[in-house]
Amino acid sequence: MSPTHPVESAPPPGPVGLAARQAALVAALVAGAPLPAGFATDRVDAARRALLRKRAGEVARHWPLLAAGLGDTWPATFTDWASGRPTVGSLRDGWDLARGLRDRDALPPLGAQELAAREATHRYDGRHPPRRRRLPALARSGDAVALQVAGRVRLLRPARR
Amino acid sequence: MTGPQGVGIGWRSEIAGFVAELPGLRFVEVVAESLSPGNPLPAGLAGLRERGVTVVPHGVRLSLGGADPVDPARVTHLARVAELVDAPLVSEHIAFVRAGGLEAGHLLPLPRTREAVAAVVANVRRARAELPVPLALEPIAALFDWPDDELDEADFLTEILDATDAELLLDVANVYANARNRGEDPHALLDRLPLDRIAYVHVAGGAEYGGLYHDTHTDPVPTEVLELVGALCAGRRPPALLLERDGHYPPADVLRAELDALATAAGHPVVT
Repeated sequence: MSPTHPVESAPPPGPVGLAARQAALVAALVAGAPLPAGFATDRVDAARRALLRKRAGEVARHWPLLAAGLGDTWPATFTDWASGRPTVGSLRDGWDLARGLRDRDALPPLGAQELAAREATHRYDGRHPPRRRRLPALARSGDAVALQVAGRVRLLRPARR
Repeated sequence: MTGPQGVGIGWRSEIAGFVAELPGLRFVEVVAESLSPGNPLPAGLAGLRERGVTVVPHGVRLSLGGADPVDPARVTHLARVAELVDAPLVSEHIAFVRAGGLEAGHLLPLPRTREAVAAVVANVRRARAELPVPLALEPIAALFDWPDDELDEADFLTEILDATDAELLLDVANVYANARNRGEDPHALLDRLPLDRIAYVHVAGGAEYGGLYHDTHTDPVPTEVLELVGALCAGRRPPALLLERDGHYPPADVLRAELDALATAAGHPVVT
């Protein structure tokens, strides 16, 4: 074989050193990066799916109405959304998912009410942790309208459908 | 406060009422990251402290196995929580939970290499310098191994404990899960572990998915795990064993029966 001929069968050089190797594994598990050479693909994939199930349960605890509104479709809805998307914490994960569902008209009424109530109490730019609003605020999500005054939220209009 | 004794249960707010009514309970564990040192204890936990129940903070996000130095703020938090509950010791995992700026959201296994041993040992020493009480280390359950392990699980654990003053938090369900998922005998693995370093023991439930045993903490404790507890306690009985349940909480009588089964398997008095 000539030295200039590419060696196709050689595996790509993997990351070297514990820090780089740990980073590559986490990226493969949560951010859709390729799995470094040598791991048992089926085992790591089982761990990745177990991790998504665990995340679904944690987000459901922060967003109980969103999860209840989706019912049996909650685990699949969440894992489809979260696969390849690293967590930014259960509160923000659920918030981002709820907004995404709202934007494509797929947010169930209970989830719309929960999102409206959250949006009335907190300001969330989608990039930084939510911050509590100091002033009264009105928030809508689909049909649902929530009013927050002095930290207390009232649902002015429930979501229909 | 005295060290953990007898059969305990992981304190979670969802089962605070159940735990408060266990008459013989002498120790619980609480997830360290769930407490804020600046705030009063949750009422249920404060009530247990008034009864003299030992509370052990159990950290899940220190990432002692990370290649980078452990976050000093996280160590400080664990130290303050230990003071808040007047803990006799704290515990954490031999694992990493973040790397390269990404959170894994779960405890991940380390490569069983000397480089990883050195990383854990360095982080345990950094943590111990700040902590007011001893630290117990818990080996985790993992669904996969790294491709280039230099040590087996028993030797990896022994090297870490020998190089630190850490005690062992042995999770019998993790021993079962790891041995079974490698096609090995859990009793053989148990026999090779440094059991003389045990501070206390974890027991949890799990379930099989796709041919693999998952340590879910949301399913019943399998008979095989209780048998392993029996084998462990037939030797030198650990002073304390704790049931971990983290969701899908069963009715109170079912949870009580699990605690009783654990007490019976271990030869400790029932706490229900």
